[in-house]
Amino acid sequence: MTILSNIDTVNNEPPPRKVTFMKAASVLRRLLAGTATRATLAVALALLVTAVLILISGKNPLLAYAALLKGAFGSIDRIAFGFNKSTPYILAGLGVALCFRANVINIGAEGQIAVGGIGATAVALSGLALPGLLLMPLALLAGVVCGAAWSGLAAFVSLKRGVHEVLCTLLLNFVGVLLVSEMLHGKLGEPGAGFPQSPLLPRAIWLPKLVAGTDLHIGIVLAVIATVACHILFWRTTFGFRLRIMGASRDAARYVGISSIRQTMRVMLIAGGLAGLAGGVEVLGVHYRLIEGFSAGFGFNAVGVALLASLNPLAVLPAGLFIGFLEAGALAMQREVGVPSSLVFVIQGLTMVFVLCALGLRGERSKV
Amino acid sequence: MLEMRGIKKAYGTVQANRGIDLDVAAGQIVGLLGENGSGKSTLMKLLFGVVSADAGTIRFKDKPLSGHGPAQAMAAGLGMIHQHFTLVEAMSVTENVMLGAPGSSPWLSPRETASRIRQESATYGLDIDPDAMIGDLPHGRRQRVEIVKAILRGADLLILDEPTSNLSPPEVEGLLGIMARLRDQGRAIVFISHKLDEVIAICSEVVVLRDGAVAGTCRVEGATRAGLARMMVGRDMPPPIAREATAAGRNVLHVGQMALTERGVERLAPISFSLRAGEILAIAGIDGNGQTELAECLAGLRLPTAGGIDLDGHDITLASVGERTELGMAYIPVDRATMSLVTGMSVSDNLALRDFDKPPLSRGGYLARSYFAERAREMSQRFAIKASGLDIAARTLSGGNQQKIVLAREIGRHPAVMIAHQPVWGLDPGATHFVIEQILALRAAGGAIIYISSSLEEVMTLGDRIAVMQGGRLSIPIDRDTVDLTQIGLMMAGDDSLIHGAAA
Repeated sequence: MTILSNIDTVNNEPPPRKVTFMKAASVLRRLLAGTATRATLAVALALLVTAVLILISGKNPLLAYAALLKGAFGSIDRIAFGFNKSTPYILAGLGVALCFRANVINIGAEGQIAVGGIGATAVALSGLALPGLLLMPLALLAGVVCGAAWSGLAAFVSLKRGVHEVLCTLLLNFVGVLLVSEMLHGKLGEPGAGFPQSPLLPRAIWLPKLVAGTDLHIGIVLAVIATVACHILFWRTTFGFRLRIMGASRDAARYVGISSIRQTMRVMLIAGGLAGLAGGVEVLGVHYRLIEGFSAGFGFNAVGVALLASLNPLAVLPAGLFIGFLEAGALAMQREVGVPSSLVFVIQGLTMVFVLCALGLRGERSKV
Repeated sequence: MLEMRGIKKAYGTVQANRGIDLDVAAGQIVGLLGENGSGKSTLMKLLFGVVSADAGTIRFKDKPLSGHGPAQAMAAGLGMIHQHFTLVEAMSVTENVMLGAPGSSPWLSPRETASRIRQESATYGLDIDPDAMIGDLPHGRRQRVEIVKAILRGADLLILDEPTSNLSPPEVEGLLGIMARLRDQGRAIVFISHKLDEVIAICSEVVVLRDGAVAGTCRVEGATRAGLARMMVGRDMPPPIAREATAAGRNVLHVGQMALTERGVERLAPISFSLRAGEILAIAGIDGNGQTELAECLAGLRLPTAGGIDLDGHDITLASVGERTELGMAYIPVDRATMSLVTGMSVSDNLALRDFDKPPLSRGGYLARSYFAERAREMSQRFAIKASGLDIAARTLSGGNQQKIVLAREIGRHPAVMIAHQPVWGLDPGATHFVIEQILALRAAGGAIIYISSSLEEVMTLGDRIAVMQGGRLSIPIDRDTVDLTQIGLMMAGDDSLIHGAAA
């Protein structure tokens, strides 16, 4: 609720006497009209402010940004890395965006990803005598189901016992992440490994590569498909229509006879499923095994991506790519210029702040 | 002690106060009477500095008071007891009194404050324990804490905004006694109320507001309840909008002994009435006397805890909103901003709120956008909705055009029964006229209508039969030809004997 109401500002027109101010404001307003324009402006401002910080630390910001760019796009391998990094952010971010749109504040993507990863691993290592082409989707499906179960659990507790969904989803993050460790120290762990990890998954069920000879797996294709599906779901179906009504006003939903409980449950299951899919993709496409802490930070980034996209499902794709490639380039920046990679988090954070400010500047909530 | 002269205040195009004078002398209780929206609350907010006046002067204790906020008003010696208390439940009485109290020292002095509370409590018979937790106190006792808070901050003039609306009869008695003692100690009180009996019992002078202007001022001796009621309501009724005399048809809605109890509080006492096709049942009453609960029980937003509702032979007591809509129930709630409209959604989406999940607006869960647009075009023409486009957000439309969207959606599907709760609230005269016309057209077409309003004028203009709602009870509906305006006014103002009499 709080996050949404922050975006929400009262549509107060300035008093008519200051005509020049009005003109300037309307020009500025038109400049900021498009979501894309506003996001770009926010990114530019964030880069500008971060440049000052880099200057203060005694490094050349231009060199740093050049290294960042090169790190992100410098070679086919780098680009593949960026896409792979973006994929879970896009998948989980889509679910978060849908939830936020319905005014259900789900910040449990991290736990849902973790549990999704467990599900996918469990199926992958189950030793089922199935061809890889069948077992792989089955493992991903297990990820979806487990992620959905995790978010469904949060929704159930929240709806049944009246615990705020922020608390439920947040607290289940810790449980989900620790559940991965528990599994790796037990059933799913690799005996004799020095690190809490599962055995390597059979090669036949690794996600196929999109471009031969690179690490780029088909996860990004799944992310694109999911984005389009969520866009259609939100804007073109009765389910999305109900979500939009409910997100805009619970009273209106009550008036029309929409069951907030059922809608909340459904949107949470969808979000958890998407996050669980992200967990499965990480396991089958990047690590080829379950590793302790593989989901660290993903939940936060999913929220960031959703907000950066101003909760517009279609915009989650570029927002996720932005965050993914930014992180991909960060290490290169640190290596080559000596700027700490943590500055990338500063850029991320500032971008979100500026995006939220730009949303406020428009003087009204984004259309639902 | 207080002189207010020529106070004017407009909210947008609505003139809430149009040149009001008010005088209050020390040791006097002045009653401020008026219907909802007559400008009482605005006037008091201006006095207390919550909002600022467009024109007019205020003098308090021979000093001008202007451009002040609540803090300055309190410092000058004004105290306001709001309808909704400003107390922290998890704190004690003493702590609440100290909270935000002006003082030069940064240190709190709980012991001294507690002893002062005891002292004032004894003086005015407030019976307050300074160590009690607010959360443990009943409503009436909390009100007394608010009073002692105001007194300890040096309030010489107390504004009580409908202080008796949530009190039980013995608590009202107690409050009136406290007010009398405050008056005898030389303090002045402005007493805002709808309830004529209380006003007559305690006030020395009554100021009646109507439509943002003073409708009359009189000494309380010699004033009669009937006279005050008429002054409050307005003597002359405007010429009614032409309405055809249609013979009412068969019964379409029957409500039998419907009651609602929520969390142990009785919201609706058993209510029974029938409604015929082509008939308007107008329900008068001051806001907050169960009208919303009644409307929501009928519309399916709340489920009654006893009794039944029958719509055209179907028992809909426990039916969902969707099932009721299918059977021809329509509902215009009072709140446009958050309930009957989703202001962030487009005009065409808002027109589809009721049936977006049925063909032809959607098939297999997939929305048919072209049909949304087509129907929106047709509806906006039929109901003269002025919008620069049908894809723009409903919030950008004027209040009148927003209400036309609701009308188009609710009346456009020819409902058998429509519940309209204050449908012209906040609308300008033109839009009001349009809404009334549409409701009368629905009546002429054989629709049964329940029209709920706190404006007696609307109720008298529209109702074929008129009933009054008070304290969660509904009087027996009276035919418009035999209705007595004064009697209705008295019933609205809480004259129990008449409601009992009517219901017996």
